[in-house]
Amino acid sequence: KTIGLQISAGFQELSLADRGGRRRDFHDLGVNTRQAIEHVQESKTGSSGTVIKLTANYFRLTSRPQWALYQYHVGYSPEMEARRLRSALLFQHVELIGKTHAFDGSILFLPKKLGNKVTEVFSRTRNGEDVKITITLTNELPPTSPTCLQFYNIIFRRLLKMLNLQQIGRNYYNPSDPINMPSHRLMVWPGFTSSILQYEENIMLCTDVSYKVLRSDTVLDFMYSLYYQVEEQRFRDVCAKELIGLIVLTKYNNRTYRIDDIDWDANPQCTFRKADGSEISYVDYYKNQYNQEITDLNQPVLVSQSKRRRGNLMPGPVVLIPELCFLTGLTEKMRNDFNMMKDLSVHTRLPPEQRQCEIRRIIDYIQKDDNVQKELRDWGLSFDSNLLSFKGRVVQGEKIFQAGSMFDYNAQFGDWSKEVRGAPLICAKPLDNWLLIYTRRNYDAANTLLQNLFKVTPAMGIRINKATMIEVDDRTEAYLRVLQQNITPDTNIAVCVLSSSRKDKYDAIKKYLCTDCPIPSQCVLARTLSKPQTAMAVSTKIALQMNCKMGGELWSVEIPLKQVMIVGIDCYHDTLAGKQSIAGFVASLNQTMTRWFSRCAVQSRGQELVDGLKVCLQTALREWFKWNKYLPSRIIVYRDGVGDGQLNTLVNYEVPQFLDCLKSIGKDYSPRLTVIVVKKRVNARFFAQCGGTLKNPPPGTVVDAEVTRPEWYDFFIVSQAVKSGCVAPTHYNVIYDTSKLKPDHVQRLTYKLCHMYYNWSGLIRVPAPCQYAHKLAFLVGQSIHKEPNLVLSDKLYYL
Amino acid sequence: MDKNSQEQFTGTIKFTPPLYKQRYCFIKDLVGKYKPKKVADLGCADCTLLWMLKSCSCIEVLAGLDTCASVMKEKMHRLSPLPGDYLQPDDRSLTVTLYHGSVAHKDPCMLGFDLVTCIELIEHLEELELKKFPEVVFGFMAPTIVVISTPNSEFNPLLPGVMLFRHPDHKFEWNRAQFQSWALETARRYDYSVEFTGVGHPPSGMENVGFCTQIGVFFRKYPQTSESAQSEKSTEVVYKMVFKAVYPSLKDEKYLQSAVVSEVIFTAQMMKRRLLDRLMSEHEEYNDDPPERKSKFQPSVNCFSEDLGKLVVEKSLEPFVQENVVYVPLRTIFSFPKVNRLCGTFEKLCKLIAGKVTLSSDGSAVMLDAEHENE
Repeated sequence: KTIGLQISAGFQELSLADRGGRRRDFHDLGVNTRQAIEHVQESKTGSSGTVIKLTANYFRLTSRPQWALYQYHVGYSPEMEARRLRSALLFQHVELIGKTHAFDGSILFLPKKLGNKVTEVFSRTRNGEDVKITITLTNELPPTSPTCLQFYNIIFRRLLKMLNLQQIGRNYYNPSDPINMPSHRLMVWPGFTSSILQYEENIMLCTDVSYKVLRSDTVLDFMYSLYYQVEEQRFRDVCAKELIGLIVLTKYNNRTYRIDDIDWDANPQCTFRKADGSEISYVDYYKNQYNQEITDLNQPVLVSQSKRRRGNLMPGPVVLIPELCFLTGLTEKMRNDFNMMKDLSVHTRLPPEQRQCEIRRIIDYIQKDDNVQKELRDWGLSFDSNLLSFKGRVVQGEKIFQAGSMFDYNAQFGDWSKEVRGAPLICAKPLDNWLLIYTRRNYDAANTLLQNLFKVTPAMGIRINKATMIEVDDRTEAYLRVLQQNITPDTNIAVCVLSSSRKDKYDAIKKYLCTDCPIPSQCVLARTLSKPQTAMAVSTKIALQMNCKMGGELWSVEIPLKQVMIVGIDCYHDTLAGKQSIAGFVASLNQTMTRWFSRCAVQSRGQELVDGLKVCLQTALREWFKWNKYLPSRIIVYRDGVGDGQLNTLVNYEVPQFLDCLKSIGKDYSPRLTVIVVKKRVNARFFAQCGGTLKNPPPGTVVDAEVTRPEWYDFFIVSQAVKSGCVAPTHYNVIYDTSKLKPDHVQRLTYKLCHMYYNWSGLIRVPAPCQYAHKLAFLVGQSIHKEPNLVLSDKLYYL
Repeated sequence: MDKNSQEQFTGTIKFTPPLYKQRYCFIKDLVGKYKPKKVADLGCADCTLLWMLKSCSCIEVLAGLDTCASVMKEKMHRLSPLPGDYLQPDDRSLTVTLYHGSVAHKDPCMLGFDLVTCIELIEHLEELELKKFPEVVFGFMAPTIVVISTPNSEFNPLLPGVMLFRHPDHKFEWNRAQFQSWALETARRYDYSVEFTGVGHPPSGMENVGFCTQIGVFFRKYPQTSESAQSEKSTEVVYKMVFKAVYPSLKDEKYLQSAVVSEVIFTAQMMKRRLLDRLMSEHEEYNDDPPERKSKFQPSVNCFSEDLGKLVVEKSLEPFVQENVVYVPLRTIFSFPKVNRLCGTFEKLCKLIAGKVTLSSDGSAVMLDAEHENE
C-alpha cells in the first residue's frame, strides 16, 4: 500500500510514447521552412526604420550548465501490461531512480544519469511474482532538443497545477477571484496562456493573460430559457443554432467538449456499452461514477465528435448530458450584444502597463511557491524573473495618394479619415441610375440619406443623379419583387434602407443581388441614419463604400514592386448549415493595388480546399492578363485562416498545388512565388518602453528577432493602432519564397498593403487582400451560401 | 481441501469489481447509511477513497493521513474543487485536508470525527506502531465509527503466487481468529462494539476460508464526548498539513452573496425585458414581423407565470417604468423560487444585496435603465 503510483497526471495526458499524427501539434514544431529558402539562410532581418525599445511577454528558461535530460527505456520481464503496475514496480526502486522523474509506462526521464548504461533491478508484484526491470539509457537530450521542449511544457503544466490553477481547454485559470457579471449571467476567470518553445536565441516561456468566460447556467438551463422564448416548432432549430459549436465544460470531471450535435431522440435513460461490455444507463453511470444526480430524465443529449484519444478510448462521439454541462465562451448572439461586450471589455481589455503587471504575476506565483521552486530546482531549471527586452524597428509611414493630392497621416493613430473627407477620389463612379428602396416608416431616413449624398459626393468627384425612390412593404418578398421589377442593365447600384438588423431579409437581398441578378448593392439600417449629429459622417462613409462596390478607387500608396500580383486568401467555417467551409480569394489587378479580382471556393466537408483555390488562381491570372496584357512575373500570396497545427499541410500540400497550377498556365511561364501565412491570433504582445512606462508600440513596428522562430522566415508587424487595451501584433511566416526579395522589402510591402483596405480610412491588422478575402468569405458563408456571380468579380461588392 | 482443487482455483480467482473497489464501495455504502459529517481516512495513500467520498453530500470535513507525503502529493490535486464547484457553489460546505503523519502519534486535528477508516492499514504497521494504534484511534480520536480492513490470511492459498504475504511491505497477515480477538479486545478496552464482515467472496465450495478482506466495524458505545473533554485531550501538533481545499459553498457569505446578487439582477433584467417588450408591442403600429412577434409573446404565458409558480402578483408588485427607469419590486423578485430558496427570508435578501444592487430610494425596488438592449 505504501508504494505510490508515481505517475504524473500531466504525463499521462501528454504521453511521449505515442506521439504521432493523432494529436495536433499546436505550435507547428518540426516544420522547417526556412532551410528551403536560400536567400534568408544567413539573415532574415530587415533594416529600415528607427529603433524602438520593446518589452515582450516572454521569459527565458534557463538550465544549469551542462544540463541534459536523460531518457531511459524501461522493460519488464515477464511483460507487465498495466501502466499503473509498471510504475508501481519501477518505483519500488526510488532510491535508485530518485524522487524527480517523469514516467509514462515505458519512457523514463531523469535529471541525472544512472551509474550504468543498463541497469537491472528486481521487483515483486502483490502476487509475489518476481519481475526483472531493465532500465536502458536511450538518449542524452540537450536542452534544445524537441523532446526536451515537450518535456518543459509537461513540467510547466505540473507547476500550474501545483499553483491551484484550473485547466480549461488549453489554458489555466484562477478560480478564486472571478469577475462576476450578473446581468449577463457570466463569470470571467483570469488566467494564463503559456507555451515553452525554442525561439531565435533562447528557449522561452511565452505567457499572456487570458480570460475565460464561463456561465453559471447549464446547457439544460439555457435550453429551458430558450424554450420559453421561441415557438415550439422553431425550438429545436434555434437550439441547434445557438448551441452547436459552443464549448461546454463538464460538471463532474472538468473536461471541455465542443457540441457538434443534439440528439433529440435520446435521453438520460438510454443505455450505452461500457468498456467491459456491460450495458448501463447514463443516469446510473453518472450516479455510480461521479455521484451526479440527473433530475430531468426527458432532456435530449449532446454529441461531441471527439478527435482526441481520451485515455484508452478511441476517438468517437461522446455523449453529454445537458444538465451536467456548463456553457463557456460567448455565443454569436452575445458577441453582437454591444452592451455586453462593452461591460466585458472593461474587465478584459487591459492597457499595456496593467497587462504587463498581470503577465508578471505568473512568474511571481512561480517564484513564491516553495513546492514549485523545489520541483524546478530538482529538474535543474529556472525562469528569468524579467520580461524579455529587445529592440524592434518602426518603419516609416506611407504617403497616401488621391487624385492630384498626396498627404501624410497621423502616425500615432494610423488614421486618415479626416484627410480623405471631401477630397477627390482616384476613381469616382457616377451614380447615374440607382435605386433607393425603403419602407414607409423609413421614408425620412431614406430622404436624409439622399440629401446628404448630394452634399458629400461632389467634393469626392462623384457625379450623382436623383435616385429612383421606391417604397416597399417591410417584407422580404416585397423587397425582392421591387428589385426584380426595377433593376435594368443600366442600374449602377441598389440601396436598401432596412428597419431592423434581421438577418433573413439582408441575406435574401444579398443573395439575389450577388447571384441571380448581379449588381452592387448597399444595405443601410434606418437607425444608423436617424441620429442628426452623425448623419453627415455616416453618409460620407456610405458614399465611399458605394463607390468601391461599383468599382471605384479611393486612395493608394506607393508600390515600387512591378509586375506583381498580390493574392489574399481567408476562410470562413460555417459550423451550422451543412458544415461547409468557404475560402475567399482576392487578387490584385493593377500596379497600384487599387482593383481586386475575387472568387470564392465553397468546400463541403471532407473536400480539400486547395482544389477550389487552384481554380481561383487560374481565373485570377487570366483576368490579370486581360487587364495588363501580360502575366505577372511575381505572385505573392497572403494566406490567412490557417489554424494552429495546420502549417505542415499547407507546406506539403497547398504550396505544391499552387506551383502545379502555375505550371499549367504555360510552358514558358514560371513566375516567382512567395507564400506568406498570416496569423492574427498570436499570444505575443509587445510593449514600447517610453520613459518609465509601457505603451502600445506605434503602427509600423516590425519585430524579426528574438521572439521569432529559428526554423522559419517569420516576422511580426504591428500595423494598426488601438484606442484601448493592448495592440495585437500580426505574425507573418514566409513558408515558400523564390522571389529573392530582401526581408526588408517583404516587410515593407506587407505594411503598405495594410493601408489599402477601402472600408476603413486607416491602417488595419492584416494586408488589405486578407481583409477583402475575409469579407467575401464571410458574406458568402453567412448570407449567400454559394459562389457569387462572376460578373461582379472585379468589384469590391462584398464590402 | 486437497491440493488439486486448490490448484484449480489458483488461476481463476478474480474479483469483479476489483477488490480494492469493493473495499471502497463498502465504505461508501457505510457513509450512505450513517451519514457522517466528518470522515478521516488513515493511510489514505493516493487519496482514491477520499476522492470517491468527496461527492457524498453528507460529508463536510474530509481528512487524509499517510506516512508517505509523496504518494499523497502525486494525485492530491484531484481533491481540489472543479470549475463547476465554483460556478454553482454547493449548499453544503466541504473542506478536504491531507496530513503527513503516523497513526502511532496523536494530533488534535483528528478529534471530533464521525467516521475513521483504516483500509488495509494495520498490516503495514511495525509492532511498536501497532501497539500504539488502538490508543491513538480508539482512545484519543474516539470517533463514532471506526472501520478496519486487513487481509484474511486463510484466503491466501487461493491467491496465485502468494508465498508468505500478499505484499512485500506487509508486516503480518492475520487469520480471522487473530483479527477478531485483537478487535474484540480493542473494542472492550475502549468501550466500542464491533461487527465483523468482509469483501471478496470465496469461490463456491471454499466458503470456509471466509472473505478475502476481513473488515471490523466498530461503534462507540458511549455518547459524544463534550467539548471540554476534547480540549483536555489537546496535545501538540505533530502532523504536517500537505494539502487543504475549501470548497465554495453557499454557507460562505461571500459565495451566497454573489449567488443572490447574480440571481436578483438576472431576474430583474428578465422582468424588465418582459415589461419593455410588452410596452413596445402595445405601442407598435407596424406589424412587420408577425412570426417574431408571436414568439416574443410566448414567455409571458410560460416562463414568467411558471417561474412565479402559483403565486399571484398583486398589481402593486408589478414592475413599472418611470422616467426611463424600470422599477422591479424586491418583493416580486423574492417570490421567485430560486431567489427565495437562496435567501430564506426577505430581510436576508435585503441584507445580502445592500450596496451591490441599485435600489429605489425607499429600498423596495431594483432600478434598471429602461434603454432597450438593442439600441
